[in-house]
Amino acid sequence: MSEPIIEVKNAKKIYKMGKERIRAVDGVSFTVDKGEFCCLLGTSGSGKSTLLNLMAGIEKLTSGQILIKGESIGGMSENKLSKFRQENLGFVFQSYNLIGSMTALENVELPLVFKRVRGGKRKKMARRILKQVGLGGRMRHKPKEMSGGQQQRVGIARAFVSKPDIVFADEPTGNLDSHTTIEVMELIKSMAEKNNQTIVMVTHDRKLSEYADKIIHILDGKIESVEIVDHTGAGNASPPEEKSPLEVQSDDLSTAVEQTPQDNTEESKGIEESTEVREEETHETN
Amino acid sequence: MRIFDLIRMGLRNLTRRKARTLLTVIGVIIGTVSIVVMISVGIGMNESFEASVMENGSMTIINVSSENWEENEDGQWTSTTQKLDGEALEKIRAIEHVKGVTPIINNWSMGLFSGKYQGWGNFMIMDMDCYEDFGYPALEDGTYPNKETSKDTVYFGAQAQQNEFYYWDGRRSKTKTIDFDRDKVEIKFQEYQINPRKKEYTIKLKNIGKIAQSPSGYSEADWSIFMDIDMYKEHYTKYANTLKIDDRKKALASLEKYERIMINVDNMNYVSDVQDEIEKMGYKSTSDMQYIEPMKETAEMLELVLGAIGAVAMLVSAINIANTMIMSIYERTKEIGIMKVLGCKVGDVRKLFLFEAGIIGLIGGIVGIGLSYVASWALNTYGGQIFESLMSGSLGVAEGSQFSVIPFWLPFFAAFFGMSVGVLSGFFPALRATKISAIEAMKSE
Repeated sequence: MSEPIIEVKNAKKIYKMGKERIRAVDGVSFTVDKGEFCCLLGTSGSGKSTLLNLMAGIEKLTSGQILIKGESIGGMSENKLSKFRQENLGFVFQSYNLIGSMTALENVELPLVFKRVRGGKRKKMARRILKQVGLGGRMRHKPKEMSGGQQQRVGIARAFVSKPDIVFADEPTGNLDSHTTIEVMELIKSMAEKNNQTIVMVTHDRKLSEYADKIIHILDGKIESVEIVDHTGAGNASPPEEKSPLEVQSDDLSTAVEQTPQDNTEESKGIEESTEVREEETHETN
Repeated sequence: MRIFDLIRMGLRNLTRRKARTLLTVIGVIIGTVSIVVMISVGIGMNESFEASVMENGSMTIINVSSENWEENEDGQWTSTTQKLDGEALEKIRAIEHVKGVTPIINNWSMGLFSGKYQGWGNFMIMDMDCYEDFGYPALEDGTYPNKETSKDTVYFGAQAQQNEFYYWDGRRSKTKTIDFDRDKVEIKFQEYQINPRKKEYTIKLKNIGKIAQSPSGYSEADWSIFMDIDMYKEHYTKYANTLKIDDRKKALASLEKYERIMINVDNMNYVSDVQDEIEKMGYKSTSDMQYIEPMKETAEMLELVLGAIGAVAMLVSAINIANTMIMSIYERTKEIGIMKVLGCKVGDVRKLFLFEAGIIGLIGGIVGIGLSYVASWALNTYGGQIFESLMSGSLGVAEGSQFSVIPFWLPFFAAFFGMSVGVLSGFFPALRATKISAIEAMKSE
């Protein structure tokens, strides 16, 4: 697979804060191939999220060019961009960004509503994908009635429901505990693989980047290095793929933890102890 | 977005904040009710005003009399005379909006005779071609007289037909009601002394037209006897020829002058304009309109004031809608951002908010109309005393008239108006919603 679906050419984003000029993204160039899982890795403030927003057309480039499927995203009108998003892009957010007044099913339906898909067909598609992410029984629940992990799975279902070519994920597990993180990552990866979809994920977590095929290290708005991960090799960073996400349930705690990669076990166990507390927190804050 | 989805989403958003939506709708209801009721009261007042005016005669008639009585500063009545002749008639006829003009001669010295019995009548000598224009009632057979039919016909009003004829036999008087179908009737001029050398001139009436009773039953037409001016001139000239030479001159000269010129204007609104024109020609004129104009102005002013009160209420509710929409946008900033990122078009965001605002206006408008009918009914049923005190000083309230009249167009106007107010007051908030940056919106909580 060497067909590039995203081409970033010398992309720059400069913010003016008073008299200061902040170079959030400073002359970045890279490509992402079709079906690739690309990870933008960097510390907070490195400009990785800005880069993602630029690629998704949420923010406007200061200079440079970003081509998605050969089309320049910067040159599109507002309406063209909306249409382009409907057809080609899916989004997963750190804070889920579900609409609180809508049920899980309605949230998943939303991109299809904008795409003018008819009611019956829309519901069918949304139900199917909710079952795929393991929320078959929670379709009528509102986001507040679900745990963080469940909410993010709704978010994933929403991102994938219209079968976009590219899914952007901005710290998709940032608000989740380690065990749920693994579930969610598994889910994203398996969903993408099923339809040969391209994933662009932003994270600061080195561990998570190991799910990716390509890791782009970002520092101070510039690319530090590009790392190609070889999943077929000895597998020192390879995530497990034995279990399908369908079987991974949020209450299926122990098995999920057991499946974390070897070198992270120690760290994971540390987090595991605090899992219960964190889950409660998630409930409260959402 | 499909229109159906847009409607569903909009309605869902409105029901999400039930109390707020309800309060805003109530605001619109109050606005609608006040504007509809105020307009209906204004219309009702105008209608009952016009109805009571109509009872008193036609509003479009102007009279130019040869003799005018005026009250001077000392409270004394003095009269002035003006010469009305054929020239004046033609000048007046040329004024714009004048539909009909007729000279009028009221000859009081014409006597009616039937055998020994004598009666009196108010002779209206006019141009019979104009008869219909002046709103006089039709004949009993439903037709109207004109110059052609009036060559040898005299028309009796409903009251004039009932007039009793008298006969003094030296000791006591006898009365008789004339049957116009059977009794012979003659007209004699009694203005000048009879010339003993000539035979007294009489008009033997061959044809008598009977005029149907007017709606009020006691209008000018009811107690008048109409004769065409050409017929009158013909007979009067013949009469003059039987007189002594001095009287003959005077009589013939009097034919050149009219007592009065009556003018019919094509529209109530032009009556004062036409009067102004007549004044410019140097003639004094009078009309019912002239007395009614100030009262009408008062009524119109009151209507305007009432409408303004309603409009203020509506303005307040428009501000209320705008406020609700702005609040709603603040609350939903994040949601709008999400929608945009998920591919919702800017136009759809705008439509969504305009729809929500429009629906608030429309629901308020419709419920408001319903309540307006209730309020209007209550006013008509129980509001009598209030309005009688309001209307006193202008004109009495005509019997059976309504205080609040909702014409058929008013509910449609109000519903449309309510919705327009909603959409208009939702316009700027909606514009604001479309300008929300997706990235900023998603960061906000």
